[in-house]
Amino acid sequence: MATHALEVRSLTKVIGKKKLVDDVSFSVEKGEIFGLLGPNGAGKTTIIRMIVSLIKRTDGAVIINGTNLDEQYKDAMSEMGAIVENPEFYKYMSGYKNLKHYANMALKEVSDERIKEVVKLVKLEDVMHKKVKTYSLGMRQRLGVAQALLHNPSLLILDEPTNGLDPQGIREFRDYLHTLAGQGMSVLVSSHLLSEMQLMCNRFAILEKGKLIHIASMNETSEIDEAKEVVFEVDNSQEAVDVVKEQIEVSSIKVISDQQFSVHINRAGIGTINRLLISNEIDVFGINRVEATLEDRFFEITNQGVKEEVK
Amino acid sequence: MISLIRNELMKMFQKKSSWIYLIIILIAVIAGGIISNAVAGEPDEDWKATMKAEVEELQKSADEASEGEKQYIQEQIQQKQQYLDKDVNPDAQSNWHFMNEVVYGVTILVTLLSVIVASASVSSEFADGTIKQLLIRPHQRWAILLSKYISILIYALVLLLTMIVSGYLVGLIAFGNGDFSAKIFEMAMDGQKEAAVGPQFFLKMAYYLPSLLIITAIAFMLSTLFKSQALAVGIGIFVLFVSSTLGGLMVFLAEKYEWAKFVIFPHLDLTVYALQDKILGDVTLPFSLMILTIYYAIFMILTFVFFQKRDISI
Ligand SMILES: Nc1ncnc2c1ncn2[C@@H]1O[C@H](COP(=O)(O)OP(=O)(O)OP(=O)(O)O)[C@@H](O)[C@H]1O
Ligand SMILES: [Mg+2]
Repeated sequence: MATHALEVRSLTKVIGKKKLVDDVSFSVEKGEIFGLLGPNGAGKTTIIRMIVSLIKRTDGAVIINGTNLDEQYKDAMSEMGAIVENPEFYKYMSGYKNLKHYANMALKEVSDERIKEVVKLVKLEDVMHKKVKTYSLGMRQRLGVAQALLHNPSLLILDEPTNGLDPQGIREFRDYLHTLAGQGMSVLVSSHLLSEMQLMCNRFAILEKGKLIHIASMNETSEIDEAKEVVFEVDNSQEAVDVVKEQIEVSSIKVISDQQFSVHINRAGIGTINRLLISNEIDVFGINRVEATLEDRFFEITNQGVKEEVK
Repeated sequence: MISLIRNELMKMFQKKSSWIYLIIILIAVIAGGIISNAVAGEPDEDWKATMKAEVEELQKSADEASEGEKQYIQEQIQQKQQYLDKDVNPDAQSNWHFMNEVVYGVTILVTLLSVIVASASVSSEFADGTIKQLLIRPHQRWAILLSKYISILIYALVLLLTMIVSGYLVGLIAFGNGDFSAKIFEMAMDGQKEAAVGPQFFLKMAYYLPSLLIITAIAFMLSTLFKSQALAVGIGIFVLFVSSTLGGLMVFLAEKYEWAKFVIFPHLDLTVYALQDKILGDVTLPFSLMILTIYYAIFMILTFVFFQKRDISI
């Protein structure tokens, strides 16, 4: 059996009488970027805290690269690099000293060259020797990424890592994550910025009220022959809608503006409508499929409360 | 472990406050030197004659005084006579006298500053949120906590050494090098105790160390209990001051109740054993040390067990 980069088995956290995390199991493959999605308070941070041993597990096991956290704590911890919520630093020390501090704590020696390399990677060379209290939120976030990567971990655990990054920074960060994953690094990332997750993850788990309700892979969201919303741009939208309604049976068709109407239809239907419009001398300027975003899917799943079998 | 301790020391000495505390000790010692030099005035060459005259004066007033006063005056005469008999100058000045009388007093500051540093140690990591990054490293929690504790002890010793070395140097400059084993009398509960000045100072230092150890242990325990640095430091200082008051209270309680002897407070200041052999009636040094050891073990176990189990949800 191939070992997973991270395997989480029936993770449970109970505080008082409240189940913050309820029997959550999933695994992250090598080189995979795995997302944890869920609304505020769903338990993402709690799951991550249990994986990195900041809080005790009420129940469940965490296995990293085949190493059980309970049996070989140091070895398992050494495989991880993490950011939990906002990374905090010793503000009275320079960014470099902060990194040096964490480098000293690694099991395998982290050379000064490695520190410089990581600093360069997160583009903090210019402020490396300034005190952290002078850093902006985004700079601290980058330093957070740097401290997580310092010791060459095989598993990166990131809790809302793009919090505080500017759009440019988010884009760079995303590209960088893909590069890392391409090199074989596995990533567990949580966020409620869903559109961003869509661009970032290979697979994702949807959490609600501490329960894992669905694990899906990204390709699943773009299945081809599903009825989707399609927007047609025509010279007279009202006339076009009347023609379509007359000729074929469609469920949700509506006028958006003078020149636009939308209809819920599958691939084959798009061609049919297009031919129909042209034969009725209505000019078609454009046809756009509105991609169902992860966000839609997310709301779809959480709102219905569908509890699908976890695969 | 060594690298963990080195890290803690690095953090400690990157903080300005750690240096400021060292400077405070220096200033206190220097101020002590300047003040006692100013107060001392010219040394009285003929101190024996002066003292004899004083004794005669007292003798005269004793004849006229009432019964109650008479006893008090007699005691004073006796004390002064002792100085004359043993040839000990009560106003003698030297660097060692300065160490024993003035520099020794600065240990209060050493304790206070050690308590401040100890109670900030873990609580500041919570207050700044840095604790979560510290504990996701490949080290057991107890090892990280131990490295913090050891670094505090090292810092406390640095404070103490700063006090002793600067005290010696300031004394040397202000009063010149004196006889290390010059005789002195120290006031104790049961009359005056004869001692040699240098050894007496180091005896006090030796008795001071266990107190420093246990008081910093209490402060360290508080620092793991509270997430707020200000609260931990505040309560640490509060405990420090209340303990001396309670120590005094226990002296009275011990006369009536046996259990008062097992309360930690009267044992916190062992330096009294430099002056007398027994406290609280019949309590001796080994007993005090045993009590302190038991409390120390309890505090340490509580601290480490609590920290090991604690959920870090900052
Ligand atoms: N120490 C605690 N004691 C009690 N309840 C807690 C504690 N920490 C978190 N919770 C509760 O656990 C639930 C999950 O919190 P968690 O921080 O894991 O959510 P999250 O998914 O990370 O949310 P967000 O998107 O806001 O970061 C919340 O309902 C929260 O109120
Ligand atoms: Mg969270």
